[in-house]
Amino acid sequence: MIRNGAEILKATMLTGTWWAIIFGLVWIACWVVGIVLPGLLSGMEGDTPRFWAEICRALTPILAVMVFIPVNAMFMVLIERRALALFTVRKGPNRVGPDGYLQTFADALKLLFKEDITPRGADAVMFTLAPIIFFAPSIFGAMPLLAAVTNNHELFQVMNLPTGIFFVLAASSVPVVGIVMGGWASNNKYSLVGGLRSAAQAISYEIPLVLSIVTICLLAGTLDVVQIAKQQAGGILNWNLLGGGALRGLDQAVASGADALKTFYYAPAAAIVGTGSDVLPWILSSIATVALVVCTVTAFCLYLTGACAEINRIPFDLPEAESELVSGYNTEYSGIKFAIFFLAEFTNLFIVASIATVMFLGGGDCPVPAWLGERVESMLGIKFSSIVNMALAPLISVKLIDPATMFAAVWVILKTYTIVFFAILVRGTLPRFRIDQLMDFGWKRLIPLSLIVFLVVVFAREFVVCHVGT
Amino acid sequence: MAIELPTTGLKTDEMIINMGPQHPATHGVLRLILTLDGEFVKHTEPVCGHLHRAQEWQGQNRTLFQYQALIDRVDYLSGMFTSWAMARAAELIDGCEISERAEFLRVMVAEMNRISSHLLWLGTYLIDLGAMFGFPFYPFREREKLLDLFEEIAGQRMMFNYIRIGGVMRAPKDDWLKRLEAFTEEFPKRVDEYEAIVTENPIFLKRTKGIGILKKEVAMDYGVTGPTIRASGVPIDLRRTKPYSVYPKLKFDVVGMDKDGDTWDRYICRIREMRQSNEIIKQCLDMLPKEGELLAKKQNAGLRIKAGEGFAAVESPRGTLGCYIISNGSDRAYRFKWRNPSFCNLSVLPELLKNHPIADVMAIFGSIDVILPDVDR
Amino acid sequence: MSETPAAKPAETPQEPGQFGQFLKEHGISSQRLADSSGVETIELEASQLEAAVKLLRSSPEVKLDYLVSVCGVDSQDTFDSVYHLWSYSNANELVIKVRVKKASVPEGSLPSVPSLSRFWNAANWHERETYDFVGIRYYGHPYLRRILNPWDWEGYPLRRDYKQLVDALNDKAPGSFR
Repeated sequence: MIRNGAEILKATMLTGTWWAIIFGLVWIACWVVGIVLPGLLSGMEGDTPRFWAEICRALTPILAVMVFIPVNAMFMVLIERRALALFTVRKGPNRVGPDGYLQTFADALKLLFKEDITPRGADAVMFTLAPIIFFAPSIFGAMPLLAAVTNNHELFQVMNLPTGIFFVLAASSVPVVGIVMGGWASNNKYSLVGGLRSAAQAISYEIPLVLSIVTICLLAGTLDVVQIAKQQAGGILNWNLLGGGALRGLDQAVASGADALKTFYYAPAAAIVGTGSDVLPWILSSIATVALVVCTVTAFCLYLTGACAEINRIPFDLPEAESELVSGYNTEYSGIKFAIFFLAEFTNLFIVASIATVMFLGGGDCPVPAWLGERVESMLGIKFSSIVNMALAPLISVKLIDPATMFAAVWVILKTYTIVFFAILVRGTLPRFRIDQLMDFGWKRLIPLSLIVFLVVVFAREFVVCHVGT
Repeated sequence: MAIELPTTGLKTDEMIINMGPQHPATHGVLRLILTLDGEFVKHTEPVCGHLHRAQEWQGQNRTLFQYQALIDRVDYLSGMFTSWAMARAAELIDGCEISERAEFLRVMVAEMNRISSHLLWLGTYLIDLGAMFGFPFYPFREREKLLDLFEEIAGQRMMFNYIRIGGVMRAPKDDWLKRLEAFTEEFPKRVDEYEAIVTENPIFLKRTKGIGILKKEVAMDYGVTGPTIRASGVPIDLRRTKPYSVYPKLKFDVVGMDKDGDTWDRYICRIREMRQSNEIIKQCLDMLPKEGELLAKKQNAGLRIKAGEGFAAVESPRGTLGCYIISNGSDRAYRFKWRNPSFCNLSVLPELLKNHPIADVMAIFGSIDVILPDVDR
Repeated sequence: MSETPAAKPAETPQEPGQFGQFLKEHGISSQRLADSSGVETIELEASQLEAAVKLLRSSPEVKLDYLVSVCGVDSQDTFDSVYHLWSYSNANELVIKVRVKKASVPEGSLPSVPSLSRFWNAANWHERETYDFVGIRYYGHPYLRRILNPWDWEGYPLRRDYKQLVDALNDKAPGSFR
């Protein structure tokens, strides 16, 4: 029974409105700078305009991120507060603007105008640098993901790296330096303890986090996020979440007959154990498939846990444990510096959610397999893509909309925010660990588990056709 | 659990850290001067008095009539009990008879107050443990219903001034009784809900089991009372051990544990007390006499009691709340002395915190349910 | 507050009560005072307090092992230190008063009473509080220091002759903690 349906509806409408604003804004900015402006410029005579057109194109991804991050963080703060209010039988912020839509905008404004205090005895340079170092990685770390989440749109291809996920992970481990700096520079014992805890926590939880990602890279055979996203195309069974391609044969078999099953499940195992027995390869490959599915689901859970710890969310928010350390490393921060810390925290949450989307949840892939959609289309005698193309023809012709990118982006948004919502739900439910219990949990449970998962995957993937080599 | 420190040859310095008075988790304004060795507390000195409002001084410089409106502020979460303790002490000295109806009403509102106080404790305690946003608001939902009931019968949501010297102020309407009954029907289900979320939560268990063990002897030595000592296996509950009012007519058992209590035991003890109070309210609703004088003494500026002295105590949600009055027969007392449960329970804190990591300070401090205005008066 | 003394109820029972008798049997003399609302009240010499409490606390038939509160009273011509003793195991109750004559306290010093904090840790904070408000010095107390008032407070607020300076709270003396 839904008791507070009206409130849920309000929060949903708020989400929809803000999404439309955020992504509309970002895409229009990209379109103007990346398509319209270069188009106009390259129409002109001479080399100089063409040079500027190239500059515009190159700047587009940066512009996209710079526009997206602050607006998105505002939305995430708002939806977090509204969602927590929903979980806790309250109303949440609903006064500023229509039904509280502008609450975080007002908050941000307030923070910008607050006095920026540097405490006496603080190391002023470090104190100022800390929020910057904390925030900067979330900007450049997000870049390689752009291409993956927009179905490799030409505007964002430049930011793609062959070692994309490696770069993202490296970038996401930099913020801890900012936290330690901020904690140390504040000249406050609580801040210092918060900063040190953060360092300890980040070091211990980075290992399961990275190992779970490495497991997926092993299945994918590449570090390129665009490649990884592309491999997973074709429905929920192809996603890395479910065996990294081990289940792929199933829906293809349903679609095209039992021969496909043999290619995927019989052939690799038979190549190893020999074709002497007819049953053994089947048994081996089915065991391997089950193991792979279990392992990848475990890896996903490990990733979520590690990510929660990495970005200091409850139940791992020890660095800013309110009941112990006042506010941890950012106790002494106020005004714009605090705003940057706040912004970065929510951006990091979004980034880890989008990494999970790309690595585990198939990026911009529709969960329904393509052949199923085609079957429905042939039954109804229509083609959805042509309808969409017709309806959006004017927009497509000015390159405002690229249908493939748009659908991919919609799926990415839905998946990413589902994970964000999950993090909010966890925040609304769990109490906080104690620091030594946190360390025990990290070193004695998560790291061995992630190593086991890694090892099992190494062997099991030999018996089935995974994404490697496709 | 008290963690054994590794004994290495490394020499470490002790660090003194001030927790409070401006700290988000000290339930008001308590200052703890903690001497830490690494993350472990070696020595604690609580510094209280930041909320001192000279309640005893006011007691002997204001008339009884004026003062009984003030004492709800001593322990603002259980105002009914402070009023009741003072009323009982005054009635003991004065020797006035309270009608059974008034006594039942007193028990009823007091038990409601106990539930609301424990509910607030439950919410804030989970905040102390870091469950910042989710669960802590659910107890407030039920507490809100109780506060609405209080508002209707006493005119105020927290500073009731409902129990007066000589009786109670107003009679409840039938509708009020019906709503209370509806609440008592619903409440056990809610407690089940809380228990489903909290009691079995592995993180909660990890944070509370074996933490802050209060030994029976230590608790008795420090004069700890209330659920805190009952969780340590000393079954003293004034409602049973020194029965007062109409408690002897009601059926209930002293809630208690049978071993040295840790933080989790104190939690479970309070949960059980809430259920028990709910049962008591149910019985009171059945047994409440329809007729009876509400107030034995006139409530006006000339309110005075006979000369003499007396000490009366009630079992408040935090423990033995005593009031010692020396009266000389005038309209103000010669000496007022409060024996506050929070004050005595807080004095055991340094003992409890020894060798616990700093992260457990608030988990333990929260579990003894100290209300700072009650400490500081 | 008018300086009316606490009126003594007329009839004081002459016979020693249950606990007075018990103490007498063990060679400690006590004087019975008017019952405080039906609870036996005895007066003890300061020098005999510790011996009496030790007896009352540990003897199996009395077992007054629960110190409920310690209270200081500025009576008309004495400073009283009032102890409320209960028992964990039975229904015994006793009020002990130790009275120090104001006349016997030299100018500039405080009335002193032995501390009970070596019997009960509970007495520690209660005695600090009494020291803070009524100015009774408990000798043998481990940490006799103001507890609710600021550390540098002057005077003892619950004494009858205490005069609160009108603007004392706003007076920021150099070196003050207030």
